Amino acid sequence: MAVTVRIPTPLRRLTQNQAEVEAEGDTIESLIENLEASYPGLKERICDESGNVRRFVNIYLNDEDIRFLDGSATAVNDGDDISIIPAIAGGSSDGERD
Amino acid sequence: MVKETEVLELQTETLDQIYAHAKVEFPDECCGIILSDGTREFVRECRNIQNERHAEDPDTYPRDARTAYLIDPNDLIRVHKEAETQNRPIKALYHSHPNHDAYFSDKDKADATAWDEPVYPGAAYIVISIYDHEVKATKAFAWNETDMDFEEVPIEMNRET
Repeated sequence: MAVTVRIPTPLRRLTQNQAEVEAEGDTIESLIENLEASYPGLKERICDESGNVRRFVNIYLNDEDIRFLDGSATAVNDGDDISIIPAIAGGSSDGERD
Repeated sequence: MVKETEVLELQTETLDQIYAHAKVEFPDECCGIILSDGTREFVRECRNIQNERHAEDPDTYPRDARTAYLIDPNDLIRVHKEAETQNRPIKALYHSHPNHDAYFSDKDKADATAWDEPVYPGAAYIVISIYDHEVKATKAFAWNETDMDFEEVPIEMNRET
């Protein structure tokens, strides 16, 4: 299954600055393995040591967050659009002052 | 050449909008994304889903929305799509610190950095300090390539022409 994957800016140096790459896989998990084979280093940035997608990484299948699908087991079909987008988060800290 | 943001120019209308957002969400943190086509700025308010995540998994998410924010992934993809298709790159990200000052906290810094790099290179982070529904101060922070750290950058206000 060939699909297009959007790569976030900070990871593009691993994809020769390509914003979009082609990858193959039947599930998100196998897709990540395939990406790793073509662009070594991508997997360890996307996944933690146990192989789970990192908390601060959002992966979307056709604009749907895979957390609300089947996670990394989500099935991928020919022509699907995958986007990898880092989360935006933060917060104040008690006791910290200017 | 390394491009560094020395000053963050913002339209006064943009600041008005994000202040209004901070007031509506008080005492929770507001959050959002500012897009720019080079001429106009577009404020995209996002939903802070910190309370939901905190309720589901307080061990992983010990804070609630009063001291933390997490942009709804659905809002995030929507704004990213707009940025791409309408050619409006992300200019800045904003959030409020209710009952706290306008600093870039350790958590702000940690969440803005991944893989030893800024997650959104080129985007400034705007922090709004709001006490009792009243905006007290606003500061902006941007990644400095030389120092490899986030540093404060002055905000310059422009009227939309």
